[in-house]
Amino acid sequence: MAHAVISCLHANLAAVEAVLADIDQQGINTITCLGDLVGYGPQPNEVVELMRQRAIPTCQGCWDEDIIDGLNACECSYPSQLAERRGHLAHQWTDAEMTAENKRFLASLPTSLRRDKLLFVHGSPNSQHEYLLPDMNAFAALERVETAGAETLFCGHTHQPYVRELRGGSIRVRVQHNDSSSSEEQDMTLPMRRIVNAGSVGEPRHGNTQATYVIHDEATNDLTIREVSYDVAKTCQAIIDAGLPEVFAWRLSHGFEYAERADDASHVCER
Amino acid sequence: MSQTWLISGPPGCGKTSWILTTIRSHPGSCGYLRLSGLSEDGLEQGHDAGIDLAWLKDQCPQLQDLSKPDQQCADRIDDQLNLIELQQYRPPAHPGVDEIDPRISNQLKALQLQPDRALHFGREPELPEQDTLEFNRLEAWSVSLHDSVWDPNSLSSFWFELVNGAYGDVYRAKALMNLPDGRAFFCNWIVSQQGSQFLPLEVVEPPTGRPNRASELVVQGKALDGMGMQSTINDCLLSDAVLDMHQAPLREQQPDLSQAKR
Ligand SMILES: [Zn+2]
Ligand SMILES: [Zn+2]
Repeated sequence: MAHAVISCLHANLAAVEAVLADIDQQGINTITCLGDLVGYGPQPNEVVELMRQRAIPTCQGCWDEDIIDGLNACECSYPSQLAERRGHLAHQWTDAEMTAENKRFLASLPTSLRRDKLLFVHGSPNSQHEYLLPDMNAFAALERVETAGAETLFCGHTHQPYVRELRGGSIRVRVQHNDSSSSEEQDMTLPMRRIVNAGSVGEPRHGNTQATYVIHDEATNDLTIREVSYDVAKTCQAIIDAGLPEVFAWRLSHGFEYAERADDASHVCER
Repeated sequence: MSQTWLISGPPGCGKTSWILTTIRSHPGSCGYLRLSGLSEDGLEQGHDAGIDLAWLKDQCPQLQDLSKPDQQCADRIDDQLNLIELQQYRPPAHPGVDEIDPRISNQLKALQLQPDRALHFGREPELPEQDTLEFNRLEAWSVSLHDSVWDPNSLSSFWFELVNGAYGDVYRAKALMNLPDGRAFFCNWIVSQQGSQFLPLEVVEPPTGRPNRASELVVQGKALDGMGMQSTINDCLLSDAVLDMHQAPLREQQPDLSQAKR
């Protein structure tokens, strides 16, 4: 059975509608969403309501968390002062725009979802704000998947889709026995693990303007990154009409490839 | 015999780079002057608060500033090569020094400069041609960044947006920008080139507050969004407190600076 994974919708209604239509057209009924329903885009309420109406299991993204908890993400989650200022502006706009009910919905979202050996998170199993980049150190990547007890880890947050296979890793673990203070070291060889990044529906940054998501066929274990065209101009106009920074519309209409990320991508904020 | 050449051409054609190469290969001393050009129909001149001179002087500290005639008279030397840079969109009707626009030659006379040669990009075969573009309409926008220090990552985002059209059709962008560690970069971009040039200045200021050097951004193009640029720039520049946060660890690495005045 095939299921679809979507992430980073970012209040872009036209993109979300196009992606859901693409999934429906393929007869796929199971969809999981990795969060970031809001932020940057002009239709936060509409997108949240659509997800609620379709009852799509969703975990909480970094933006969803910040809208509820207030902006207490440390500066380290922004790659630059400019990104931080713009992020704050988008945050304030979204916060003022969203209904209390939709905020409550975001607050109710879990930080992860699990189905058998599949784990769904926004950033990483450690934090909604951690970026699992495709070139992250293999050991660190394997550690994230293994510690979370998953075979395949689905994540988003970087807005760049990828499938990464981690083969034949081995780790040395120190086993502490709970009856005594003795401990022993064991070498464990791990089976293949995978990290799958679903990219972004509403704010693609992978080199073109198309929305991305992934399809996973559980029977064959095949993974497909899908790209879907949508009415970019419509969302851009809505961004300008909403009074959000015009540069958000410009970015969306170009689909440049760049990762908005902290210098130390695996930095975990200690709030 | 000292020589004075007038080097003219449209924005971004490579005048300053060519002048730098010429200065470096000239065995004797050199002088430099950038004249404010004449705006033509629909073609606005880019303002220049001395970033070309600052850049050239950084690269060739011996370079004489010809805008200061007293200095120039005092040590007028044989074999000196004086290079006068002029932004001029269209080539003069005829080659040669006699065809120089009187408004320009009067400016030169006031500085006791008499060109021996007038070279225009796009006409003289000895000048490179690949970036000499013809402009029909050109707006200019500039901002003084004196005393300003950029957050480095924000600068690269802004420059990326600028040259990729986030603030209008930019044909040409040129700037001298300060970073918190005391370095400055001469940033240079023209639409006919693939990437931007980011050239570090030789002179690095101590990490003790805001540097005291010319700093400016000059943009030329069409439908330029000055307000948009200004608002993004405001979000990129460092406050005193944040600048100090960047500089404090650098001062600790250079103990003689920790006593220096801020
Ligand atoms: Zn996101
Ligand atoms: Zn995120």
